[in-house]
Amino acid sequence: MRVNHTAGMSTLVLFSLCAAMAQPATSRIVSAANAFLSTLDQKQRQSVLFAFDDATQRTRWSNLPVKMVPRAGLSMGELTAAQRSAAMALVSSALSRRGFEKVRQIVDADETLKHNEGNNPMFGEDLYYISILGTPSAKEPWMLQFGGHHLALNITIAGERGVLTPTLTGAQPALYTVNGKTVRPLGEESDKAFALLNALDETQRKQAILSYRLADLVLGPGRDGKTILPEGLKASAMNDRQRAMLLDVISEWANIVHESAAAARMDELKAEINETWFAWSGPTTVTPGRNIAAYYRIQGPHLVIEYAPQTLGGDPSMHVHTMYRDPTNDYGRKLAAK
Amino acid sequence: MKTRLAAAILLLTATPALAHRLDEYLEATLVSVEKTRMRAEITLTPGVAVYPIVLADIDTDADGIISETEQRAYAGRVLRDLSLTIDGRPLRLQLLSKRFPTIEEMKGGLGQIQIEFSADLLFGGATRRLIFENHHQSRIAAYQVNCLVPRDPDIRIVAQNRNYSQSLYQLEYLQAGVQSNSLFLASWSGDRVWLGVVALLLFARFAFLWRQRARNPVSY
Repeated sequence: MRVNHTAGMSTLVLFSLCAAMAQPATSRIVSAANAFLSTLDQKQRQSVLFAFDDATQRTRWSNLPVKMVPRAGLSMGELTAAQRSAAMALVSSALSRRGFEKVRQIVDADETLKHNEGNNPMFGEDLYYISILGTPSAKEPWMLQFGGHHLALNITIAGERGVLTPTLTGAQPALYTVNGKTVRPLGEESDKAFALLNALDETQRKQAILSYRLADLVLGPGRDGKTILPEGLKASAMNDRQRAMLLDVISEWANIVHESAAAARMDELKAEINETWFAWSGPTTVTPGRNIAAYYRIQGPHLVIEYAPQTLGGDPSMHVHTMYRDPTNDYGRKLAAK
Repeated sequence: MKTRLAAAILLLTATPALAHRLDEYLEATLVSVEKTRMRAEITLTPGVAVYPIVLADIDTDADGIISETEQRAYAGRVLRDLSLTIDGRPLRLQLLSKRFPTIEEMKGGLGQIQIEFSADLLFGGATRRLIFENHHQSRIAAYQVNCLVPRDPDIRIVAQNRNYSQSLYQLEYLQAGVQSNSLFLASWSGDRVWLGVVALLLFARFAFLWRQRARNPVSY
């Protein structure tokens, strides 16, 4: 299975990542971007580069496979091994170690899905696209996109700041095994939220648990810049331990981006934690070792997180979509405006 | 019809569960409230297992093409299946825009129909209650409805309530700068007040002249 091959590539990328860790984050990402671009021929460069303000390319992402919603840029399948390695080194340079691992696990899940579906050409790691909007720069804003089925990373880099919103993560299957080891790409997102729900008292649970069914993401692809009314339990009505647990759930998305950008983002979200809401809809029990089958949403003044199991004809705990947004700063528009 | 529907769903869900919506018709509505009107957009996504049912309702002449006339007619049917009231008074929905996917996209379970509509809100008091109901294709629908945070700082949402399926949505909000029990006067403002005053004065003048004439009839 291809998953073994990708594990080797991950080690290679991780090695180059560690070697570059001493550099400040932005220069490290710019170096990795330029290194990747230098491996491409003229035609490939034209395919991968877009104007920073290309609104169509910015929004050309989805939870759906690329054969259903075509992406632009360069797919991993059309790159040589060296180009592919440089592309993944670029993606890893913009992410934390755990963030990159999560991305690898999502891609590996799709490879597993391809295998489970009789080598279905709709899925697999070759169908993930990379694109660069603007010119990689340590000072001027630019964007890196990487995504495909169940993955859309939109990373805006502006000086030392890095913004990861909007970003979509998902997994199908949400649980699989590699060399006998169980992998759950979005397992922490599920487990931490379930632990938080169970840490609430009865009165808090009544507020947090919504009385209606949610079939899907409310602010999924195509819903940029929209802010819905928050619902559920406000964190100001939680105790310190519960608030810390809520922040820990949030960190599963906020910490995908590289460490210094993640630290700045977590500081922002921590300062607003009392204005942040937690809402749950669906089953309040879970089979041990598996993901929840319930929807949940975390919403603050600069944050929307949705976790939405998909009832697409199968076990909803095995197919998950999640969304991570800052409706006030989609595609880092606040940073880019400065 | 019910048996046919169940059979169609059973047949199509027997295919492997892939990435697309299957046996539901997702109908997601985003509502926004302003002082004098509400706007909403409804995004309808038929699953691959139910798209034949939805398509039959849209492509009424079954020629495999969704014509402009069919688009308009379907958007109208969707709006007729919605109900909106403000403070217990029904509102008339106006179609603002519509966008339809290709039949191929619908077949794949990723075709999204988008319908935008609005309604003028009748004048009311400081406390308002908007009730939205969606009954479109209720046997296969998965409803969602949410309200956007109002841009107008004078509008403050107090409560949202839904039934389990989200076919019924109730929104209560407060509107600053509006006095209760001033329904009539509230609808008269600016130039319209002056026009009203002039009309009243003219009416009084004509009434006075008419009475004078009645008392002193002119003989020829």
